[in-house]
Amino acid sequence: MTVNNTIAHQRLILSGDRERFKELLRKRLIECGWRDQVRMLCRDVVKERENSDVSFDMLVNRVTPRARALVPDTVKKELLQKIKTHLLTQKDQ
Amino acid sequence: MNDNGCIHLSNFKAAKGTNPYKIVHAFFVSCTSFEARRYKATSCLCFACGQPGPRMHSCLHCIYFACYAGHIQEHSKSKKHFLYVDLSYGNVYCTQCQDYIYDRELTEIAMSHRLKEAKSLGISAPFMPWLPNTNEALALRRLRKRRLISPHTTIGLRGLQNLGSTCFMNCIVQTLIHTPLLRDYFLGEKHKCKAQGTGKCLVCEVSKLFQEFYSGAKTPLTLHRLLHLIWTHARHLAGYEQQDAHEFFIATLDVLHRHCMNGVEDTEKKENGRCNCIIDQIFTGGLQSDVVCTSCSGVSTTIDPFWDISLDVAGPGSLQACLERFTRAEHLGSAAKIKCSKCRAYRESTKQLTLETLPIVASFHLKRFEHSSQIDRKISAFVSFPAELDMTPFMSSHRRAVDVGVDNNNAPEGIFEDNRYSLFAVVNHLGSLDAGHYTAYVRQMKGSWFKCDDHMITRASLREVLDSEGYLLFYHKTVLEYECDVS
Repeated sequence: MTVNNTIAHQRLILSGDRERFKELLRKRLIECGWRDQVRMLCRDVVKERENSDVSFDMLVNRVTPRARALVPDTVKKELLQKIKTHLLTQKDQ
Repeated sequence: MNDNGCIHLSNFKAAKGTNPYKIVHAFFVSCTSFEARRYKATSCLCFACGQPGPRMHSCLHCIYFACYAGHIQEHSKSKKHFLYVDLSYGNVYCTQCQDYIYDRELTEIAMSHRLKEAKSLGISAPFMPWLPNTNEALALRRLRKRRLISPHTTIGLRGLQNLGSTCFMNCIVQTLIHTPLLRDYFLGEKHKCKAQGTGKCLVCEVSKLFQEFYSGAKTPLTLHRLLHLIWTHARHLAGYEQQDAHEFFIATLDVLHRHCMNGVEDTEKKENGRCNCIIDQIFTGGLQSDVVCTSCSGVSTTIDPFWDISLDVAGPGSLQACLERFTRAEHLGSAAKIKCSKCRAYRESTKQLTLETLPIVASFHLKRFEHSSQIDRKISAFVSFPAELDMTPFMSSHRRAVDVGVDNNNAPEGIFEDNRYSLFAVVNHLGSLDAGHYTAYVRQMKGSWFKCDDHMITRASLREVLDSEGYLLFYHKTVLEYECDVS
């Protein structure tokens, strides 16, 4: 992370906007059904290994690549565009 | 992942309580104050490698920050500290068990901090799934019968007998029954009535009606009791001739709103001067009117509550165009001078209407009936309306930002706002002014539309709905925000 990046990141946390963006992303992922899809993926993994323990790390390793691929482009675009606009307007002040 | 905690966490809690978790969580996971955000912004870096990730954790024993790429493991080995709080999600990781540990008490602390954080940032509270309380869990165990809702389910659909030109009532009842939030309110049996059993409360009657619609029976219903109640409480609608569905809709909301107050103590009635009955919570919005004096540019602003928006249909070809025209600044002309409080004189002025607050259900009335001293006529002009509508351009805050201009940018305020609406009911008037008939299209669930023509219910396509003429259009807010309920 570069110095500029760090400052932008710190400002986002300080103003609470990071949390706001996170909430927006969370909302979008629920709306488009992503969360339910990922929940199903997790269930499948757990079912596959019905008789052995499932650890968090194992679940994350198995599900993450597929879950990432499932995020709709429209959601990525919206967030990217909004964060960009937001950071640019912050800079001017 | 263990639902029953682990011995290491239990021992830790027995020795030190939940305070260490509370502090770490309130400062570095869900910041409950500005001060906390300052700490989080500047200090969440791995003490070993200086990086902000991956997956930052804090040692619960000594608040040592370390990332998951080996450094919490290192710290655990050298200090024999086993418990770590994930700084993104607030879960507790145990290096002995090598997994995250669920703990009811800590989960509750985390939830209360998340609510406080949402409140301090002025954002909507996080969604919390419904958990049955002891009584509800008991009832669920006792009542074994379950209903599976599939795309082919027709539950909630029932025809309504025409009692002699009562199609104006039938189409409004169908609309109200299929208003998602109203349905949830009544099926949740939220109406507590003092006048219960007297047969005089319209809200109780509607409550019964919901039970009838969702009972699973398929025969058409007869609404004579409802009609009689409305006749007695809205006398101008009494009689056997055809009435205007829009007038009936507004009168029904008014009677419902008045009767909602039956069961409520005076002290609970109003919140910040606004009624908080279910009708007002769902249907009431605020219409802002700005009158600008052309001589001194002084603005006088008033905000009035509204239940629906009546739109002129002559000219524009779409709902958005109608709304655009509705919210445009209008010069009042020399014939309509208004007293300016600043100039202390009657001046020419411009007036602009915008939406200050949006209701959960936005109802639009297309003014298709023209009554004048010379002629009464129906305007059948085509007005297209969308299935999904964004109301942002018609909001007061948006108009202000546009007027101020881009350099003084207020737009980021709107980034987190969500003013999207989805169509869920359309009332149509067929035929002429004196020999007409009302039907309604209702959305039963997402993507599933039905046409309600008195006792006949038939499946309809969205295309058919959007191609219909449209007299009353009903939109429901697409995403509902949750209110923070923390003191």
